[in-house]
Amino acid sequence: MRLQLVVLDNLIWLILILFFLVNVFFTPNFLSYGNIVNIFYHSTILSMLVLAQGLVLLTGNIDLSIESTLAFAPAIAMLLSTKWLPGGLNPYLAILVTLTVGGLVGLFNGVSVTKLGINSFIHTLSILIILRGLTLFFVPFAIYKLSGTYTFLGRARAFADIPVAVIFTLFVFFTLHIVLKNTPFGRYVLATGGNPRASYISGIDTDKMVIVIFLFAGALAAVAGMLAAGRQDAVNNTMGKDMVLLSFAGAILGGTTLSGGRGTALGMLGGALLLGMISNSLTLIGINVFLLYATYGILIFFAVLLDRFKVKLRELLFHRENMRTLRELETAPRGK
Amino acid sequence: MKSAEGEQAAEGRVILRLDGITKLYPGSIALYDARMDVREGEVHGIIGKNGAGKSTLVNVVSGITPPTGGIIEIGGDRYSSLTRQRAKRKGIAIVTQEPEVVPDFTVAENLFFPDYLRRPGGRIMWGDINREAGRMMEQAGLRVNVLAKMSDLPLSEQQLVLVAKAFYLEKAKIIILDEVTASLSSKDAAFLYEIIAAQKRGGKAILFISHHMGEILEICDRVTVLRDGQTVATEERKTLDRHRLSLFIVGGEDLAGGSEGGAAVSRVKTGDPVLTVKGLTRAGAFYDLSFDLRGGEILGIAGLRGSGRTELLKAIAGVDRVDEGRIFVKGEERAFRSPAEAFAGGVVYLPENRDREGLIENQSVRENLSLSSLKHLTRGAFINKREELKAVEGLIDMLSIVTPSPEQEVRNLSGGNRQKVVVGKIFAARPLVYLLDEPTRGIDIGAKKSILAIIKERLASRAGVIMTAPGLEDLVSVCDRILVLCGGRVVNEFYRGAFGERELYLAIHGMDRARAV
Repeated sequence: MRLQLVVLDNLIWLILILFFLVNVFFTPNFLSYGNIVNIFYHSTILSMLVLAQGLVLLTGNIDLSIESTLAFAPAIAMLLSTKWLPGGLNPYLAILVTLTVGGLVGLFNGVSVTKLGINSFIHTLSILIILRGLTLFFVPFAIYKLSGTYTFLGRARAFADIPVAVIFTLFVFFTLHIVLKNTPFGRYVLATGGNPRASYISGIDTDKMVIVIFLFAGALAAVAGMLAAGRQDAVNNTMGKDMVLLSFAGAILGGTTLSGGRGTALGMLGGALLLGMISNSLTLIGINVFLLYATYGILIFFAVLLDRFKVKLRELLFHRENMRTLRELETAPRGK
Repeated sequence: MKSAEGEQAAEGRVILRLDGITKLYPGSIALYDARMDVREGEVHGIIGKNGAGKSTLVNVVSGITPPTGGIIEIGGDRYSSLTRQRAKRKGIAIVTQEPEVVPDFTVAENLFFPDYLRRPGGRIMWGDINREAGRMMEQAGLRVNVLAKMSDLPLSEQQLVLVAKAFYLEKAKIIILDEVTASLSSKDAAFLYEIIAAQKRGGKAILFISHHMGEILEICDRVTVLRDGQTVATEERKTLDRHRLSLFIVGGEDLAGGSEGGAAVSRVKTGDPVLTVKGLTRAGAFYDLSFDLRGGEILGIAGLRGSGRTELLKAIAGVDRVDEGRIFVKGEERAFRSPAEAFAGGVVYLPENRDREGLIENQSVRENLSLSSLKHLTRGAFINKREELKAVEGLIDMLSIVTPSPEQEVRNLSGGNRQKVVVGKIFAARPLVYLLDEPTRGIDIGAKKSILAIIKERLASRAGVIMTAPGLEDLVSVCDRILVLCGGRVVNEFYRGAFGERELYLAIHGMDRARAV
């Protein structure tokens, strides 16, 4: 039973492998080095959002604003670079500005949710709309031809033609995974989501945990924006639109619960990769882009279904174990 | 039909029979082959340790939980499982341990919810509801304003309202009271006993769950004892005494010895106090409280619910605020604005409600135990897993926590063991002061003795301890000193060796507010 439990907790990887194999046999042009790399590359932007959402979900909150921060943060940096500052902006500073803006948005979210007690869904919903509106207002469709330094993260390729973005993403995920599992901070975050009241009484500064996570989520959204800007060598005002819902799908597919307190960073990576793989394979098959869009909706439904399924399966496993124990009790002589 | 003679159990016919009831949960067997029969007009007690299966059993009877196996027979009809609706229709009402109410609804609405009185079209008849509710409260002898919001009532009264609902409104034939007295003040409990006696004469059957032997022996006609999910005995009350009953409950040693209050001499405490409180006040809760606590000393705070004892602990611990007064830890003045600050300052708090405020339910025993002491278990920035496991196993051993493994989810443990996990967690934090808020609340005798021993021998060996308790016996058995609070003020102080039960009892009720003036 122990093995079955392990498989259940890492179900996303099983699904990934299965889906991968299905595609190897049935999807044209799937199994090529270039395509596999492509899957990873195209997953990077969404995976940053999945990670951001997943972390916020761990604390028992929701962040709807990340897709707008994705556009807003690079927009501010690029506007400073091209229109607002006469001398332009040093590209390294531009990167710093992007991250700072993202972090500040996150900080604002965290403080509002904890100190002002505003429900995270409602608050981040308003930020989602405000930032998108501001981005649409300030950015006239698109700013292009960005500096090479700025687009490095999103565009450049390293050894074996592997994009820097992929290496960077994997690095971020692995680091977060270790932090969540092996540091007191990580445990406090999970505890805060699992039972905020008990965590507070146990001496954890739950407000601080939530604020830090929101701040980090904002920064991750900004990074996602940089990756997107790098890839298309432009900042446009509709970047990230409709991605926040997928960020939920990825996090939940990866084993993060909606109620908080449960989930792993690597699981979130798995969820994001699955989304990327599905998009890739359906595109290769040649499916209509609007149907592809509908598929995402199906995926979200499926993700929640999977969550329920896992809970039931877990109960079933324990139930079978109990029945086995019962049978042993019946055959063995009654003790104490 | 049947006649009820005096205090003898009525030879009423059997209206409920449980046959071979089994209930399995992930990770545990809650009930196994439980059997019981209940007669009309009797008060049938159900007693057992925590985790024995009492609540599970009555949840099966009332339809809250479907059993994994077995038959429920009500008035001749046999069922393999019940729903709450079906059980209601068959005349089974239940009052759960913690009042199940909708806090924002009025008392009247809570009484009728969800079976509102309706006009033929479907509209709710509020006027009738309010009137009927008022009449019901009068009939039950309760002075409650039915138009008040449920949350405005103290817990004790909420529970009484629900009891009245079960008896007078639902016209049930079988009424289940699940550890109801846990939420009642002693006056309200006495009132409850009166209602039970009256209802019994009317032919109703009452299932009374408790883990207090005294209570069970006082009001029940027959008693069924549960142990480890099995019904070990059903006896007439007249054949039972504390000794025999406790043998059934624990199946071994006699624990009815109880506390030999105040026998040992107080250990001499010297040195500066670890905690000093001066003029502590919080409007509406407690006023002008001052006392010292020395290292190694166990100070008890006695008082009725609402006397300020819980509020005092929460204020010192940084959970609630303080309006006036000063707190000194080891001579240094501190003002804790949150439990995090209190922990850092060496003051830890054991919450009254361990499930809601003490445990992360979906995490393992290990994760819960180490939560407050993670900072001591790190190497650099990372948690040293081996140290953590060693510390956790040490705690499990020392506190005799029953769990198949440290990775077991805490929600699958029994009540007494969950409490031990919370105690273990704060113990590992190595503080200067322990603030224990009802550490033995809702725990069976065996685990209670265990925890009291731990407090006396372990916690007090390192630090100062302040504890409150629902009953006097616990304080009398371990404390060096007892402060009595009444109405938020200190009314008396007792030293070990001079713990007179009567004096303490009187002191607690010092400023007696007559019921419903």
